[in-house]
Amino acid sequence: MENGGIELHIPDGFIPITQCIIYYVILIVALYFSVKWARSNLDEKRIPLLAVLAAGIFAIMSMNMPIPFGTSGHMVGGALVAIVFLAPEAAVLVFTVVLLIQALIFGDGGITALGANVLNMAIIGGFVGLYTFKYLNGIIGKYPAAGIAAWLATVLAALACAIEMAIAGTFPVNVGIPSMVLYHFFIGIIEAVLTVIVLMALDKFRPDLLAWNNATEGDA
Amino acid sequence: MEKKDTYLIVVAVVICIIISCLSPYIASGDPDGLEKSAEDSGLAEDFAIEEINGIPDAIFPDYAFADNPDSQPLQIVALVIGALVTLFVGFGVAYVVKK
Repeated sequence: MENGGIELHIPDGFIPITQCIIYYVILIVALYFSVKWARSNLDEKRIPLLAVLAAGIFAIMSMNMPIPFGTSGHMVGGALVAIVFLAPEAAVLVFTVVLLIQALIFGDGGITALGANVLNMAIIGGFVGLYTFKYLNGIIGKYPAAGIAAWLATVLAALACAIEMAIAGTFPVNVGIPSMVLYHFFIGIIEAVLTVIVLMALDKFRPDLLAWNNATEGDA
Repeated sequence: MEKKDTYLIVVAVVICIIISCLSPYIASGDPDGLEKSAEDSGLAEDFAIEEINGIPDAIFPDYAFADNPDSQPLQIVALVIGALVTLFVGFGVAYVVKK
């Protein structure tokens, strides 16, 4: 296998260090809010849930599936984590762990690009996923809402990645943006299907773990 | 920890192992979305906008053993190790931030 790929995983050398620092500042601010969220929201059963989602996301990222144009893609999971916890902060924690391990141990995604990668997959992916889900949930039901949310999260994360590449001077705007959006239009379908499957499985076997089933904190 | 949370971890580890065993054999080797966009943009494979030094080599580059990168059983081992490390670090981080 050409395993793992870089599928939204920006490698070292694609973004100049000065710009990497800006993305790291964003990461630190996001982690501040995420730790604050974790203090009041993680408990005995949500700690294992966070850990298994991280492990599952690590594993599923190795499973590249073919899409048109001789390209491939895999699930990312930012929208999934944000919807499970009804909190994008959870996605920031999960992806900081997963992307750090992938960068340090497996050379997948750059350590210098960690801030940008967390921004795309967890912050943008998580926020777009969660708020699209919340908006559509009351209109079309939770599973269609989650599927569309996951798809949109993937496409917008890819668009953000392409814009970062354009700012870095790595991808020309006129090629990078249409390419990234086109491929992730299809990769987003993989994301949508797997996100809905995992949510259905959790709702069937462990409904207590889904924040949307918890009246005290579920406002979706 | 409650019994059902132990089950959750066991099921998750089993799923991770199944994915890890399948990936080296069935995952698509085609370039992914970002790699393909880099190709479309005419970037060389070893493109770097800025030389960045001092980054340590990965222990398992490309999810394989460095001295035997094409061995699929070893890729499975690397993936399983990665999933377990992620699980433990995930637990650790969650506990620490919860305090």
